[in-house]
Amino acid sequence: MQKIIISPIENIDVCSDQLLGQEIHRTFGFQTEIKSLLQDINFAYDLKRDQYHSTVILEKLANTSPSQAFKVAAITDKDLFIPILTHVYGEAQLAGKACIVSTFRLKEGLSIANIEKELGNRIVKEVLHELGHTFNLRHCHDNSCIMHYCRSMKDVDRKSNQLCRYCKILLEDELKKL
Amino acid sequence: MLVTKILIVDDEPIMRESLAGWLERDGHHIDTSASGEDAIKKLKGTRYDVLLVDIKMEGISGLDVLKHVKESDPDVAVVMITAYGSIATAIEAMKNGAYDYLLKPFDPDELGIIIEKILKNQAQLRENIYLKAQFKDRTRFESMIGQSRPMQEIFDLIMDVSPRDSTVMITGETGTGKGLAAKAIHSNSSRCMGPFVVVNCGAVPEHLMESELFGHQKGAFTDAKETKKGRLEISHGGTLFLDEIGEISMRMQIDLLRVLEDRVFYRVGGTQPLKSDFRVIAATNRNLEEAVKEGIFREDLYYRLNVISFEIPPLRERKEDIPLLAEHFLRRFTQETNKSIDRINRDAMDELMLYEWPGNVRELENAIERAVVVSKSRYIMPEDLPIFRPDYCITLKDHSLKEVEKAHISKMLNDTQWNIKKCSEILGIDRSTLYSKIKRYELKKPD
Repeated sequence: MQKIIISPIENIDVCSDQLLGQEIHRTFGFQTEIKSLLQDINFAYDLKRDQYHSTVILEKLANTSPSQAFKVAAITDKDLFIPILTHVYGEAQLAGKACIVSTFRLKEGLSIANIEKELGNRIVKEVLHELGHTFNLRHCHDNSCIMHYCRSMKDVDRKSNQLCRYCKILLEDELKKL
Repeated sequence: MLVTKILIVDDEPIMRESLAGWLERDGHHIDTSASGEDAIKKLKGTRYDVLLVDIKMEGISGLDVLKHVKESDPDVAVVMITAYGSIATAIEAMKNGAYDYLLKPFDPDELGIIIEKILKNQAQLRENIYLKAQFKDRTRFESMIGQSRPMQEIFDLIMDVSPRDSTVMITGETGTGKGLAAKAIHSNSSRCMGPFVVVNCGAVPEHLMESELFGHQKGAFTDAKETKKGRLEISHGGTLFLDEIGEISMRMQIDLLRVLEDRVFYRVGGTQPLKSDFRVIAATNRNLEEAVKEGIFREDLYYRLNVISFEIPPLRERKEDIPLLAEHFLRRFTQETNKSIDRINRDAMDELMLYEWPGNVRELENAIERAVVVSKSRYIMPEDLPIFRPDYCITLKDHSLKEVEKAHISKMLNDTQWNIKKCSEILGIDRSTLYSKIKRYELKKPD
């Protein structure tokens, strides 16, 4: 049975791992397993930018993932970038195997009192979004859809953790191809 | 498909690839070029909506690429990418017609906002062009004309399919008259008293398409000040013509399929199911079978639309219709302009017959319209036709066709020992035409 691997990097505490597993199963229909595939991501560190190059991490993740891993979703607390952009919240291999989400900027604007729950919700949404790309889903215009590209954390909080009806059908089409 | 085509021009592979990967997730079609030279080569074969060009490159610079684009297709939006040190060059680029510039590395939001703005502007431009063409068609081009066998077959087909209520798919190159065929089917059907509603799937921006087709309830979104009926609702009792169906987005394909299956839909923001009784006619100049194979057009929708289909032949495959069409347009435009032009001169007609008409009937219509305007005599002469302007000849690459014609006539004359009667019979033209061509090409009988 193929699974989606949730891979915390450097033992990051994914406060919502149980919820994350449930949500991934509900959205994509695959069981999940938590397994740390990379001890650190120092190999992707860029001294000049003091950030980590996410594309390089994705390549390594895809190459090191076990055979039963259908997809891999890594989570890190480091700040990620791709060379042309100042930063990214996450990156995914479109119609590929691996994706990664950074919690570095996800804490923005959260109140101390609710930080654990609210951060957990944001992580879930970002992971579902990036995993969606690995199933060949593109960004969606519907601002309540999980595949909507959010320009701010406010938008992330506003969007649901559901795929809109279009994206659901497009996902079904992709799953039929498997 | 209304997929935005973006060309990224940057000589740094890592910048090129990271930008391409990022934009691909937005659903755009991305091409890349590692140099200005390669970009110019690509631009000759493909039309892009947006170019993202690095200013500093070896060889042909980003500014040179910008100048080239603005000369050949000013509607293409060019966004310059620059490092912090070269802002002055970026400003110079703006003066030369660049849409905007980005300092690298740039914030992902900045890029998204610029692309969104460009696409909105371009969609508005497309819609304006379509509305103008539609208005022109309505006022000038009300009937289909053709006595050629292929067109007679099309007329028979139209008469045959009109009374049925089946969905019809019309294919054919741009300018062949697909819209007219759709209108003819509607006019000959039992729905002729009902509305004929046109939706140009290629001109309406994706985010407006849902409201355009299904309508919206007041307050459904920021601009929804009033409840508005969609085209599906308006076409009740009539025909819904989906022009350029090959350009419809994947999302709207899903909605359209659902509506075609059960004829029930909801206004945007509405909860009440609405029913509408309409016939669907779709048209495209794309090869939809190929689009299905490429995964950009839904197979289920393709089969749902393709119940009865026919193709309108290009004008070059029914050249015998050219005189009839040309005379029809001549009458129309002389009436409109109050000019007394009796007919099209024989040489001019020969030239019309020789030309390949890549823009089909619409191009012929435009050529006659222009000829009527510029003509100073009672006849349309070859030089009145835009296809004979030297610069036009070069762009359409028919210069060699003339050389071929000259060489062929010369050979036939020699083969027939300059027997004009025999030669004109072989060439299928009358003697006076042959004489005028001999004169024009300065062909001389050997001593």
